[in-house]
Amino acid sequence: MPSPTKSKSSAKKSPIPQLPPALQAIADSVIEAKLPNGLQIRLLPSDAVPTCSFYTFFRVGARNERPGITGISHLFEHMMFNGAKKYGPGQFDKVLESNGGTSNAYTSNDLTVYYEDFMSEALEKVIDLESDRMKSLQVTPKMLESERKVVMEERRLRVDNEIGGLMDEELSTLVWKAHPYRWPVIGWMKDIENIKREDCLDYFRTFYAPNNATVFVSGDFDPRQAMALIKKYYGSIKPGPAVPMVQDSEPEQKGERRAEVRHPAQAPSLMIAWRGPQGDDPDTLVLDVLQYALSVGQSSRLTRALVFEQELAVGVSVDWTWRFDPGAFTVVMELKPDGDPKIAEAALYAQLQKVADHGLEPRELEKAKNNLAAHLLRELATNNGRAHALGTYELMLGDWRQGLALPSRYESITAEQVQAAAKKYLAPERRSVVTLVPTEEKETPEVAA
Amino acid sequence: MSARGSEGLRPLKLPKHEVRVLPNGLTVHLVPRGPLPLVAVRLVIRGGSVNDPLGKLGVGDFAARLFRRGASGMTADQISDTVEFVGASVGGFSNEENVIVSLSTPSKHLGPMFEVMSKLVLEPDFPESEVELSRRRTLAALTNDLDDPGSLADRALVRATWGSHPYAHEAIAGKSDISAYTRDDLKRFHEDRIGPKVAHLYVVGAFETDEVMSTIERTLGKWSGGPDAPSEIPAWNGIAKPGEVLIVDKPEQTQVQMRIGARGVKRGHDDHFPLITMNTVLGGGFTSRLVTEIRVKRGLSYGAGSSFDMMSVAGTFTVSSFTRTESINTLIDVALGEVKKMREKGPSKKELETVQRYISGLYPGRLETNEAISGAIADVVHYRLPESWISDYRERISAVTVPQAAAAAQKHLFGDERSIVLVGNAEQLKPMVERYGAVTVIKPESFE
Repeated sequence: MPSPTKSKSSAKKSPIPQLPPALQAIADSVIEAKLPNGLQIRLLPSDAVPTCSFYTFFRVGARNERPGITGISHLFEHMMFNGAKKYGPGQFDKVLESNGGTSNAYTSNDLTVYYEDFMSEALEKVIDLESDRMKSLQVTPKMLESERKVVMEERRLRVDNEIGGLMDEELSTLVWKAHPYRWPVIGWMKDIENIKREDCLDYFRTFYAPNNATVFVSGDFDPRQAMALIKKYYGSIKPGPAVPMVQDSEPEQKGERRAEVRHPAQAPSLMIAWRGPQGDDPDTLVLDVLQYALSVGQSSRLTRALVFEQELAVGVSVDWTWRFDPGAFTVVMELKPDGDPKIAEAALYAQLQKVADHGLEPRELEKAKNNLAAHLLRELATNNGRAHALGTYELMLGDWRQGLALPSRYESITAEQVQAAAKKYLAPERRSVVTLVPTEEKETPEVAA
Repeated sequence: MSARGSEGLRPLKLPKHEVRVLPNGLTVHLVPRGPLPLVAVRLVIRGGSVNDPLGKLGVGDFAARLFRRGASGMTADQISDTVEFVGASVGGFSNEENVIVSLSTPSKHLGPMFEVMSKLVLEPDFPESEVELSRRRTLAALTNDLDDPGSLADRALVRATWGSHPYAHEAIAGKSDISAYTRDDLKRFHEDRIGPKVAHLYVVGAFETDEVMSTIERTLGKWSGGPDAPSEIPAWNGIAKPGEVLIVDKPEQTQVQMRIGARGVKRGHDDHFPLITMNTVLGGGFTSRLVTEIRVKRGLSYGAGSSFDMMSVAGTFTVSSFTRTESINTLIDVALGEVKKMREKGPSKKELETVQRYISGLYPGRLETNEAISGAIADVVHYRLPESWISDYRERISAVTVPQAAAAAQKHLFGDERSIVLVGNAEQLKPMVERYGAVTVIKPESFE
């Protein structure tokens, strides 16, 4: 197994199989380059609609933080819209919108991702704007204070006043004892309050360098011109230092872990996570198949059994997000108002045990693979979707081609592999359980804000 | 690059759109396009929730969602397994004006998947066990949804604005309605409100026209019954209690969800383009006045915006945001102040030019997927918009002048005729917001 902390491009690569025509056409259109400063460039021209998407992936997220400054990746993502040398405070979105474009960004545990959707004519302006903030972001005390308040409000929205957010935060601290995945991407409230300007500047120098970034452009543009523009605007940006390694010191889990969240609610619910493999482990794809067989569609195992047949849950979903370091296979069950979490939990385990004991039916396996293939096609239907999907696959698997090859890699997965993965990963000693216990409103102490 | 008009816009490559009317009255729209081997099908029937009878509100949506739980002798499991096996999805639901059944499938499975979809439309079985199961699930979901302050605020706003108008049916439907549906009600809904003469079928994606037409003729060609023409939707007299402040009490909240609702315009109104550009300045884009004043300058909230919701006969206008409880007055004052300023003075030339470029630059991105194209064409048909609506959209946005946008703002933005909805801790909020109008406090349970 390769070290999870090294560059993913050095990770093992499977040979790329023959692709179906629609995917081969996309593969053939991609143009790749790397600037001397380390910036990786991928161009995906297609003239279906006169717009483009411009994606910048930075290999940094909550995983690269430390206690005391949790949430800095996300706060920093906000700061990236607050002014650089050429385009000052408030200019980024103003200039972009007046050129027929829009932008957004997100931060995950592993990555920080920025994108613009815009009319094709604005390509040079977008490259100018994006390279300006990579080159010379300004972090002024005033903008930092204003943005800090916005992020605190975002935290109140997504965590403190949202039951799913409260449970998810509790779950992560159970699953991970040492790894940075244990804190929320948005950060602890006190840390958000206390992040210093110096922390931000240091963070920018370390992680926002061209050698830590990958650009994906898709849509209606001339690739030669686009490449020349990217070289012109990004070429002079100096590479940064080597990005510090993230130490995965997570100890082995010795048994089930449990926690309760007591909060006013109409119904109990359950969030249960099992420690899984890292994103580029071959078992990750086996768990993708298992995830689809368990929870995608009304005929999936858990939905049919727990929602329709036993009527224990209003909804059940499985989240298996690929991560750089070992992630979590998570089941969320929203119960009925009079539901008993103990009964629902036991019924869930019984379903999972069946897979561990007997594997999937051949037709179920086939169905999961068909859906995974259709899902990839739908992801590729828009300029934005193509740039995002191929960029994510490159960052996670080391090569965007591995993303296009996924349907054939799923195709080779056997029922025995799925059974073995269920047995190995969904074992009781690997799981953490969070139960939402509804309380009467009066019992609840004020949520610290 | 200057932000000027529609000069230099690259042409839209609109796919060919072919219309055929079957002998039974069903109108078929075919839009073949590639390159991905996918197809989206959308059947739009004018039998939406405005037609639901009082006491049984929500019955149309309930019935439409049951289509895929048993049809033409196929059980729910058989339908799910057949459709989901190939990576397709199919289902029905109802909104205010239409019942919509849609299918999304890989191209190579279009024939058999279309046959399944047709069974759902022509012969839903409404098995007794599925009706009861669905009733229990719907009731539980209705209760669980009370935990989501954002959706609670949206529902409260629909009630506060539309009042007793049929457009509020979905938001009013509650436990007593859901408990009252009988299997006969569902069958009656299917007989009375579903039929080819009030339906349009849209097929968009990679397919062979002849092959698809013969499949349609063989299946939906046999469809008969239902209404001859869509029912009339009554006119609306404006918001029920202008000036009202409605608080939905959730004492555990440290944050307040805020909505301000008022009268808007119907879809296809003569002022559509001036209004859309004006509203984008006010609360549409990420540099809108509301975002700038609420988020950027004051850090009051993570999000803020305004929008027009336009239906066939009338529409509403909404300002939305949220903030910590202690900042609610500042938030409401800023929101009301920005609406007033826009109503009195309109947008500046520079602001208008920016949003014209913004809207028209991004418009082609709204026509990228098969689902988006079928939705856009269905809107043109349903709201009887001019045929050139899509092809000329960017040019019409670009042609709006400052006086036109200012006049539209003055005419359509609210003065005192508005309702304010808040979801949060009523005990703390009530004394703070009494200055905006008479306060009514309700419990979340009144939405069950």
